[in-house]
Amino acid sequence: MKKYIQTTVDVVDYSSLPLVQKYALADLLYVAYGLLIVMLVLVSYFAGMFDMLPHDPQQINMDLLMSPPGTDGHLLGTDFMGRDILSRLIVGIQAYFLPGMLAISIALAGGVILGVPAGYWGGRIATCITYISNLVDSFPRMVLILLVIAAFKPDIYYIMIVMGITGVPAVATAISNKIYFLSQKNFIEAARALGLRRRVIIFKHILWYNCRALLIIQATLGMGEAILLETSLSYLGFGVQEPVPSWGNMVQSGANYFLQGNFWPSTAPALAILFTILGFNLLGDGLNNILEDRRGK
Amino acid sequence: MKNRPYRVILITLLRELFLTMLLLVGVSVVVFAILYAAPGDPFSALLEGQLATDEVREQIRIAMGAQQSWYAQYFSWLFSVLSGNFGTSVRTGLPVSGELFTVSINTLKLTVGSMLITLLVAVPIALYTAMRDHRVVLGWPLTMFGYLISSLPLFWFGYIIIYISIHGFHFFPLASFGGESWLHTLVPVLVLGLGSGTISEVIRQLREEMTRVLGEDYVRTARAKGASVWKHAFKEGVLLPVTEIIAAKIPFILGGAVIVEQIFNWPGMGRMAWQAALDRDFPVIMGIVLIAASFVRMGSLLQRMVFIAVNPHRQRE
Repeated sequence: MKKYIQTTVDVVDYSSLPLVQKYALADLLYVAYGLLIVMLVLVSYFAGMFDMLPHDPQQINMDLLMSPPGTDGHLLGTDFMGRDILSRLIVGIQAYFLPGMLAISIALAGGVILGVPAGYWGGRIATCITYISNLVDSFPRMVLILLVIAAFKPDIYYIMIVMGITGVPAVATAISNKIYFLSQKNFIEAARALGLRRRVIIFKHILWYNCRALLIIQATLGMGEAILLETSLSYLGFGVQEPVPSWGNMVQSGANYFLQGNFWPSTAPALAILFTILGFNLLGDGLNNILEDRRGK
Repeated sequence: MKNRPYRVILITLLRELFLTMLLLVGVSVVVFAILYAAPGDPFSALLEGQLATDEVREQIRIAMGAQQSWYAQYFSWLFSVLSGNFGTSVRTGLPVSGELFTVSINTLKLTVGSMLITLLVAVPIALYTAMRDHRVVLGWPLTMFGYLISSLPLFWFGYIIIYISIHGFHFFPLASFGGESWLHTLVPVLVLGLGSGTISEVIRQLREEMTRVLGEDYVRTARAKGASVWKHAFKEGVLLPVTEIIAAKIPFILGGAVIVEQIFNWPGMGRMAWQAALDRDFPVIMGIVLIAASFVRMGSLLQRMVFIAVNPHRQRE
């Protein structure tokens, strides 16, 4: 008769479940590095506000043209007009941050507005939104921005509005996929059965409880793209204009001296761009692995 | 197979063609809307610095046969574009269409070449890491390399390559286009292919797809009976994701082309668009946007065709 007795599960099986979820070390490192880069944004604004920059970023010093790092109190050297590169790098952070935030907010807001109905109701709305996103995706972003610049004026905020609008389809697709996946789960069914209003289900149960991680990740990755775009357009001469420092126009003005062997004035901002974009990308991917639990599948 | 496959393919193809046409019409509407909303009309360029009154402007409009209502303007503009007349450049006074043709061929060379470079680098890496677990020793440096290269500012990367080729190989890559040696083409193509950041995306997506396909039952069966895993996994694991990524990345590559053409003085669409944006040269930039958008649509049409050819019975994703 013994074989008909149901065996009980050992208690050990339950207690061996980790109390604190362990994350991959790599992801934690990614996020830590990304947060460091985000901290630099705060540093830039505080330094600008409380006048704590090492030098005046606009001050021209004709005696110290393109000096190497470390000369005379200029930690990162000076550029072709003798301006302190470190101070210009710190102020340059402000050139991408607020415009980038604008682009991200437009992309997220548009993505939620289009993605939620597409994921929740599907059917014809989803098809319609697919076509809209196909339409927006047809334009190479850079070329569309050049058209807008020609039609209006070269202003970083116009550029970022275009960037935000062209970023909408990606966010909308991500959200609609996620919602489509969620809507097959029991808790949505339960919420409906409990008689919760549709508004509450969508905003609280779907968007707030289940999509906020996704939105944060999209925002972080969007910031990386925004920096790339801002610096590229400033490099092309359409974004932030001299003498206001932006990493893009710093690379551009330093590039004239690059081939003569004066690497530093354009390499310093280029490395800043490289490590900042890297930071935002790593932050986004690390958060994605931790919050959405995608690693090790 | 009761339904003859070519019939299915034909119907699906026609549907895709129709959708492409529809999207191109949508593209033209968007371009027109931006131009329509622009402050000042194209005619102002003719009157630059003449302090023209509204009356004079009106007379010029009438003299040049411009319509008043927006839809009449749109349709006359659309028909002239369709008949190949993109207008005359404000800067040079020459018709845009002829110049656009040569310029877009140049850009096509650059983008196709760089796409090939990207695939040559990315596909082996992706397949290698997919075959093994990507936590394997080589996986980490490769992932890091992917991250670094996708964050690299293209314009600075270009200068480094120029510097290296001048001082290392005594070769000046900017001399002129289409000229003396194939190296003049190869250097910009390499820069765009390696530096545009597409590589890491290709590696990531392809690796994910390939890992998924390698875990499918039919691949396991193939492996169990000793058949070639490659042969079975190729269509779904390599061909489809690669074409999909290429089609999705065309706009991105065209954007990168703007910068690379600027660095290397490559006479392509990107450089022309840059010049046109500086001069507010509407007809030129409008033509470039339309051509670039049709490149993108052609790319995704080709991708859909591959998709249908691989699996005629799955018409929709």
